[in-house]
Amino acid sequence: MLKNFCKSTPFLLIGLVLVMTNLANKQTPRFEANTLRINLGCEPPSLDWAKATDAASFDVVSNIMIGLTSYANDLSCRPACAESWQILDHGKHYIFHLRPNIRWSDGKPLTAYDFQYAWRRLLDPKTAAPYAFFLYDIENAFAYNQGKLKDANELGIRAINESTFEVRLSRPIAYFLYLTAFCPTYPQRQDIIERYSNNWTDPGHLVCNGPFILTKWQHEYKIELTANPSYYAAKPSLKTIKMFMIPEQSTAFALYENNQLDFIDNRSLPTSEIDRYRKSGCNEYRDIALLRVSYLGFNIEKKPFDNVKVRRALSLAIDRERVCRILRHGEKPIANLIPPPLLGHSDFSTEQSYNPKLARNLLAQAGYPEGKNFPQTFLLYPHREDTRLLVEVMQDELKRNLNIHVDLLNQEWQVYLQTLRNNTPPIYRYAWGADYPDPDTFMNLFTSHNGNNNTHWSNKTYDQLVSLAGCEANPVKRATLYKQADYLLCKQDVPIIPVNTAAQNMLIKPWVHGIIPNALDLQFFSSVGIGD
Amino acid sequence: MSKLIIKRILIMLPLLWLIATLTFFLLRVLPGGPFDAEKNLPPEIIANLKAKYHMDRTLPEQYYIYLQRVVKGDLGISYKYLDRSVNDILASALPVSLTLGIAALFLAIIIGVPLGIVAATKKGTAIDAMCIICSTLGVSLPSFVIGALLIFVFGIWLKLLPVALWESAWHVILPAFTLASGPTAYLARLTRSSVIDALSKDWVRTAQIKGEPYLQTVINHALRNALIPIITVLGPLSAILITGSFVVETIYAIPGMGRFFITAVSNRDYDLVIGTTLIFALLLIIANTIVDILYHILDPRITISD
Repeated sequence: MLKNFCKSTPFLLIGLVLVMTNLANKQTPRFEANTLRINLGCEPPSLDWAKATDAASFDVVSNIMIGLTSYANDLSCRPACAESWQILDHGKHYIFHLRPNIRWSDGKPLTAYDFQYAWRRLLDPKTAAPYAFFLYDIENAFAYNQGKLKDANELGIRAINESTFEVRLSRPIAYFLYLTAFCPTYPQRQDIIERYSNNWTDPGHLVCNGPFILTKWQHEYKIELTANPSYYAAKPSLKTIKMFMIPEQSTAFALYENNQLDFIDNRSLPTSEIDRYRKSGCNEYRDIALLRVSYLGFNIEKKPFDNVKVRRALSLAIDRERVCRILRHGEKPIANLIPPPLLGHSDFSTEQSYNPKLARNLLAQAGYPEGKNFPQTFLLYPHREDTRLLVEVMQDELKRNLNIHVDLLNQEWQVYLQTLRNNTPPIYRYAWGADYPDPDTFMNLFTSHNGNNNTHWSNKTYDQLVSLAGCEANPVKRATLYKQADYLLCKQDVPIIPVNTAAQNMLIKPWVHGIIPNALDLQFFSSVGIGD
Repeated sequence: MSKLIIKRILIMLPLLWLIATLTFFLLRVLPGGPFDAEKNLPPEIIANLKAKYHMDRTLPEQYYIYLQRVVKGDLGISYKYLDRSVNDILASALPVSLTLGIAALFLAIIIGVPLGIVAATKKGTAIDAMCIICSTLGVSLPSFVIGALLIFVFGIWLKLLPVALWESAWHVILPAFTLASGPTAYLARLTRSSVIDALSKDWVRTAQIKGEPYLQTVINHALRNALIPIITVLGPLSAILITGSFVVETIYAIPGMGRFFITAVSNRDYDLVIGTTLIFALLLIIANTIVDILYHILDPRITISD
């Protein structure tokens, strides 16, 4: 009898496991009612929107706050706290009229003084707000932020009365309205910040005016938002948003597959799984091209890249379509810096951007026929898996089409950033994402005095074109000016080679409705619903 | 015993000062700083940030400011997590790592030590071979492989345990087993060799000749003597386990302290790096002091003044 029992034990164990598995499967609900579960990927460094600069913080702030304006689905500016505005003095003077029915989550009415306080605080050098420079075009803002001007009343920022907010600019800037939809310019409450000091962003202290309120913040783990009953517009159908901070991509992906996350994006979606979902025919996969351009930059002071013919040759030797096919992440090829659909962008054409024969001719004219005697050089890139694949494809393209060998060198992220700024390598890989949906966010990057222009390239005509375009109110004229500048940058002088635009890849569970992705990669959940 | 504790405290203070000083200056030698970001900020903004965090002062001044804070028990501020102090960050992360670490330590002891005893007493048999294979696998397989395997089997395939996160007691099981795998295997190997060594001693043979049952001999005579090297290892092992593991906390999305040992360095979050280093050093000193006291309890021939 004992023998029989011993023999049957493995079968009993297997049976037990199967029963438990079945029970476990039945007990786990697919979704939580009226709750959206997403992954932020990391802890938001700050929920003080005057100091925040990163995507995780903006993902939270964008759902608990609204500014003077907000983005429509097509990324145009629509009224939010301000129901209307006047633009006077050829674009140098803005007057915003606030809605009368907007209240903070503690019931107090929102006033123009909350905007005045927030904008002045953003520019106050004591706040040390990284994004204060976005308001440098406001009268006296630069001097005030530098500490040279002490009186905040001299700033071109003023609450005329409780419902009217006035901004005076030192020069007209065509994209100024976009800044009023940008998180750092959202209103703030002086009494709350002064009462709670550094802890004012804790749940229970933080007051907000958006569709959700912050109810829980377990650091490095989870943030919970709940619907704001005081929100002025249509109440969100979600009751709760759980934002986890799962750093490991494969863990977040396993949680999605186990129905413990409802929506994931690049932060949680391994490249190897994208193809599987794409080909599976299910409706969970979506992607969108982002306003983020990946490019190779040259240090034009280092040989042989001080020769414009060499730079042009390298640009023409890269088959960007092949690069995107290999990357398999939904990237789109680009040969100009302004990505579509922004004003002034140029449509991509392989015929115009990829010409190995012409590239070899240019290289020969520069003194390196068939790549002979081309000096030893290297391409620096940050230590990241997705970047490594891209630069390896570049290396291959240059070898294949120009017979030149470029060494690849990687560095840890912070070391890489310092090397770029202090001793720019001959070639480096970089990417730039838009802060607002306007070509200025890209084109300003390569003006002579921009701190992010690591190429050492300086061109007065380019500076002038970008400056003129920034102030130009007529969209047709603006587009022409940007196209001229873009041609100068990417076709004539070529201090950089734009390669591709990035894409956001998403998986959305079938019970999640109303997620509308946008090219700025801002996530708004006020119109999202959960249910079969 | 009180003499030992006082002596250790007296050694501990200059030791912690030395560690804090070395870490402070070594970090400043590293290329890159806390305000380097993908989007380079204008020099005016960097100047404001540096002024706010006293980084516009000379290095000795910064060091003096830091020491003044540390003496008062303030480990400084985080440059990455704005408006959060290092004390706040560690106070919320350490209890999580402590819970997980104690669970893993408990598992490692209750599995590793008996496994080692069984292997030693059945030396040369199939059971011994099995124990050796298990412990070799435990030592050689990295925790990210074991973690992924456990997640796949128990989380995704059988759906018996949570895949990740830190919500209930059920969520502790898989990470605790992952964290315990290496130490369990190590303890098993150590116990095996120590018990085999002890079993060959004269006093064990005497006890057996006197007619004491074998199991009793092993526990009373062999194991007690074999515990000395095990306890020696458990000191630093406890400190390592309760300060968390970067890999385990990352793959199971656990908000512990272990991940700061890596992320704080890559973010150049200077004060947080020193804070985590000091906490680790402090726990290591405490664990070693407890080990010294346990030596005396296990073997009264060892005097704690040694």
